[in-house]
Amino acid sequence: MVTSGLSLGLSSIHHGYTINQDFQAAVDNVTLNIAAGEFVALLGPSGCGKSTLLRLIAGLEAPSRGKVSSDGLPILEPNPERVLMFQDPTLFPWRTVRQNIALSQDICGKRDEAAIDGIISLVGLKGFERAWPHQLSGGMAQRAALARALINHPRLLLLDEPLGKLDALTRLTMQTELHRLWKERSFTAVMVTHDVEEALFLATRVITLSARPAKILSDIKVNLPFHRHRDDPEVLQLRKSILTQLGHRDDW
Amino acid sequence: MSGTNATSQRHINDRSLTRASHDRPTAVISWLAGPVWLAVALLTWRWPDADDFPNTSLLAALFAFIGVILLAATTTGFLKKRAPWALAIGIFLGGWEVAQAKLLKLPRPFFGTPQDLLDVFITDWSRLGNSLLHSLGLLAVGYLVGSVSGIAIGIGLGRSPRFRYWVHPLLRAIGPLPPVALLPLAFVLVPSSFLAGEALMILASAFPVAVLTWSGIASVDPAYYDVARTMGASRSFLTFRVALPAAMPQIFVGLFMGLGASFAMLVVAEMLGVKAGLGFYMQWAQGWAAYPNMYAALIVMSLMCTGLITLLFKVRDRILIWQKDGLKW
Repeated sequence: MVTSGLSLGLSSIHHGYTINQDFQAAVDNVTLNIAAGEFVALLGPSGCGKSTLLRLIAGLEAPSRGKVSSDGLPILEPNPERVLMFQDPTLFPWRTVRQNIALSQDICGKRDEAAIDGIISLVGLKGFERAWPHQLSGGMAQRAALARALINHPRLLLLDEPLGKLDALTRLTMQTELHRLWKERSFTAVMVTHDVEEALFLATRVITLSARPAKILSDIKVNLPFHRHRDDPEVLQLRKSILTQLGHRDDW
Repeated sequence: MSGTNATSQRHINDRSLTRASHDRPTAVISWLAGPVWLAVALLTWRWPDADDFPNTSLLAALFAFIGVILLAATTTGFLKKRAPWALAIGIFLGGWEVAQAKLLKLPRPFFGTPQDLLDVFITDWSRLGNSLLHSLGLLAVGYLVGSVSGIAIGIGLGRSPRFRYWVHPLLRAIGPLPPVALLPLAFVLVPSSFLAGEALMILASAFPVAVLTWSGIASVDPAYYDVARTMGASRSFLTFRVALPAAMPQIFVGLFMGLGASFAMLVVAEMLGVKAGLGFYMQWAQGWAAYPNMYAALIVMSLMCTGLITLLFKVRDRILIWQKDGLKW
């Protein structure tokens, strides 16, 4: 089954949080349109409000001002079409791997055992269906979380630094896998990361954000063919200019 | 390569050596347990009692029977880990028998003889059994109703601000009060002493369960809710299939504390108002200075309490099978 991605529209989004009675702006006037099937990487310094943007798109929170819409319709609440994947696997410890992956099916009340089997082998967790989350390694747990996110063929995958806590080699494998799944299933993907290389390896478009409150600094189309190599001169050139924009000209 | 092999070989040998030297006393004890019980049986049978005690030969036969069983268990290899305990109990019973039944060294009537205790079980087993059933009935109703309402109150406190607004102050006012303090009031207000006992037991078990259920739900990682919400989970899914299972470890702590509190409440209620059950039996035995009966009731009560705690832990191990490790009862 091939799903088609959905398109996103963010128009003049303002958002913030009240911490100890002080209003702290997190997102400042962000306007952004994402076409169906794009893979967008949001790059920015840590704590700049990137995750807040994802929560707004997921519908977990409503923006203070501005409008978020998907396929032209306003986003008012979470919807299984838009799935958010976190930095931590956040698997439910009281469910086995298989039960965790089947979570969204349990929520909507329709179990499809064949689909569960399919996604388990797709992410390479065959043989671990009956394991408890605490028995998994970090990479395996994140694969299970990925399978849980993808089981119901979401049209938008929101990734909040999903590979941030993995070791370098597992990260490489998972990046390749994410790319393959995105190609196969053609969902729209928005990924928050602070790894420029990861963004350039996966994304069709890289958006850099300023420090808190987040403002869009630049919007770069990555017109390079896949399969990209990390030592490709064009990749290196882009990497240099993005890092310069983020204020790390001398650090890389 | 061969060097490391040799070293590891030596390590293994060392370990098996220590294991063997550790095993030897256990093996000796294991072979000692049966004969000690048989010897105690012989002592009981042949050494004349210091006074007129009932059932001496029956007690001797019982000791001998256990001795034979222990011997059989040793030869078939069943008696390993428990052998030291079997030996210790045999020595204790033998010492008690000699000190009291044969030499009368302990003050009477507070200390009976093993035959007195056996006599209670033989002559009064039906009343003891009825008392046990009565206590179990009182406890089961009170504890189950208390636990279920405690979990319900805890869920309400953890998930509904309006419920919390009204119930939290009540909980703070009534919960910490020892239910025993309400006993005089309960016996006046509630028409039957049985119902009063139930009401207090419900109170005693509901409070810890409610507080720990609430605390368990309050400490659920908010990310779990986010995960379920992005997949379109309803409020009731979040409560019953996210919050409740996540809070289970804490809920079982509450259930454990609640069970202890209901044991206490059971005995107090039976000693002070309810005219049946093990607590009442003990009260009665003490009133008639029938100390062996009191000991017998105490033994039955201890078996009941530890049995119920064991049952609770078995249920917990079943439900919390996903936890990495847990206390083993």
